[in-house]
Amino acid sequence: MSLLEVRHLVKHFPVRGGVLNRVVGHVHAVNDVSFDVRKGETLGIVGESGCGKSTLGKMLIRLIEPTSGTITYEGQDITALSHSQMMPLRRTMQIIFQDPYSSLNPRLTVRSLLKEAIAFHRIVARNEMDDYITELIRRVGLRADAADKFPHEFSGGQRQRIGIARALATKPEFIVADEPVSALDVSIQAQVLNLLMDLKDEFGLTLVFISHDLKVIQHFCDRVMVMYLGHAVETLPCLELDEQVRHPYSKALLGANPIDDPDQRRPLTILQGDVPSPFHMPAGCPFIGRCPDVIDRCRAEMPPIVEREPGHRVACWVANEDVAEPAAPAKSLG
Amino acid sequence: MRRLLKSRGARKFTRNRLAMAALGIIAVYFLTALWVLLGGISMEATRQRVAPKQVPGFLETRTLEERVAFAMHYIDEVDQAVRLASRRDQDAYEILADKALAERRAAKMSTDEYNELLDEAFAVLEDELEGVEDLSHHPELEPRVERLEEIAAALYPVPQGWEGVKYRLRTFLGSDAAGQSISVRAVYSVKVAFQIGLITSVISVIIGSLLGAAAAFFGGWIDHVITWIFSTLSSIPYLVLLSVLIVVFFGTIFDNPERPFLSLVPVYVAFCSTFWIGPCRVIRGETMKIKELEYVQAATAIGFSRLYILVRHVIPNTAHLMFINFSLLFIGAIKSEVILSFLGLGVKGQPSWGIMIRDAKDEVITYFFWQIGAATVLMFVLVLAFNILTDALQDAFDPRHVD
Repeated sequence: MSLLEVRHLVKHFPVRGGVLNRVVGHVHAVNDVSFDVRKGETLGIVGESGCGKSTLGKMLIRLIEPTSGTITYEGQDITALSHSQMMPLRRTMQIIFQDPYSSLNPRLTVRSLLKEAIAFHRIVARNEMDDYITELIRRVGLRADAADKFPHEFSGGQRQRIGIARALATKPEFIVADEPVSALDVSIQAQVLNLLMDLKDEFGLTLVFISHDLKVIQHFCDRVMVMYLGHAVETLPCLELDEQVRHPYSKALLGANPIDDPDQRRPLTILQGDVPSPFHMPAGCPFIGRCPDVIDRCRAEMPPIVEREPGHRVACWVANEDVAEPAAPAKSLG
Repeated sequence: MRRLLKSRGARKFTRNRLAMAALGIIAVYFLTALWVLLGGISMEATRQRVAPKQVPGFLETRTLEERVAFAMHYIDEVDQAVRLASRRDQDAYEILADKALAERRAAKMSTDEYNELLDEAFAVLEDELEGVEDLSHHPELEPRVERLEEIAAALYPVPQGWEGVKYRLRTFLGSDAAGQSISVRAVYSVKVAFQIGLITSVISVIIGSLLGAAAAFFGGWIDHVITWIFSTLSSIPYLVLLSVLIVVFFGTIFDNPERPFLSLVPVYVAFCSTFWIGPCRVIRGETMKIKELEYVQAATAIGFSRLYILVRHVIPNTAHLMFINFSLLFIGAIKSEVILSFLGLGVKGQPSWGIMIRDAKDEVITYFFWQIGAATVLMFVLVLAFNILTDALQDAFDPRHVD
């Protein structure tokens, strides 16, 4: 069952310029992205910097208002909700940020920043507050005396744990993890990832995990959605990633990951060229400038998303040559 | 606050010796202002005649002529009183009792005793000093001048003990054209300066910070309106604006020198209406930066209202800029007060450094620098201390100044 259904989500940021500060164009951050998140699963969103994955993640919990499209959470279209109607949902949807240094208010102790969220949503009674906070802090792997310290007294990994504790404080069901480990040392990354995995099982969370590191996604997620320049170019289960991957961009991403076995080699594709500016979107497929397999049709037409197999959707003319044109868009986007 | 005191910036600040010295000086000024406010120097004391007019301060060696004139001031007072007393058939002391100059009161004597001393004084004056072309060429006459001073001191003795100390304090910087004590007026002005500085800088920083933070945080038409107001205000020459604002108050209840506190209200209004622009600009910029930070987004994700986020998560993180701006505006207010008072638009009914400098205008031509000197030195030290403090605050708390 789908917890979250995203349909044709678009985000254009207006660009202003000139003397009169008129809108002179738009940055196409997210272009017509549709996907589902099933209850209890972890969906990975991968892509390079600037591909719109963070914008997408923030739109899911309405930190950024979408330009068009719908986000349905448990059957309710949250893009249409007012601030006050959104309030009960805010408790159930939380976010973990990338930068553990700017995601904590430097003037609040750990206790006061947790207390703020807990008291706001009345998660526990006032007299149980301290116990609840102590338990939360212990659960994310910090010592109990961390409660009365300020964020600057912690290391990056510890601060990220505080960020996780804040996201968990309101007992959410759905968490967007926006590159939660990219800013951390590799050794700390593993600790925080394991913590997230444990917590996911313990609290029965549904996660959207955003990263630019396919290796981390493969390790952590059930399914992966590859994004390029605001488009979802391929979606498939992580287990099939090595064998089934079709889109040339996904292949390139996968090829960039080293394999921990010196006898095995993957075909390595090094992408040429630069990402086109999201301000001037190319006609046709957004990947044409860098694609090794580009054909004429790619330049003329945007490739449709084709469900090759249940749960494996690819948007590429070349990769989908072997399957028939889709009759109609699938009803449930696996 | 606790976090602020523990921060790296605060440690850097307290280790800066110059800044600590400046803070000490400001503390001394502040305590002085407090002491004056609590009645340490009454308004009457600033108006009282303490000496003949334009007596120079302690540093200046006076010529023999000046010493004679100074002594004769007291001797003449007694002489007039004795004559008046003989006409009215009264005791001379009764008349003299009201003619105190600061702590120096006429000695209690009978009329005959007065006459005896007066006769001697006039004998010295008329027989030996009068007619001498230039006393400075006759150092041999100095003992006679000293005798004249002794007589003056006998008639008007300098009191002993605490009263004597008070007298010396009141006269050690001399007196102005009305015989008022320069030291008393200069110290009293510390209170006026702090009053204006504190009130205007606190109000301006609060108004400016709130408006700046609101403008940047809410954006849209709020930002447009606030930006428009401060860019319009700052395009008008500042002194012209101040003068116009003060002229608006002419003839109202606030234009009454008899009520010194009320008469400062136009000054407060004029300063606050222009001074808030500085902090507003700076805080607006800082808020624009902070509102994009992830902890603000996290607060939004929890569901807090925009106003709560602004007050709890954004404004406290601009506190260091408020301190710096407070310090800057404090100096600005003191300096502007001096300019306005000099133009006759500022302080009314009580002394201030600006008023003293204005009054000193005519004295300076006659080489009498005590009044303008006292006012400017006191102001200079305070402004310098605040400048050092501001620099140190900026060094310690402004991220762009971090080494």
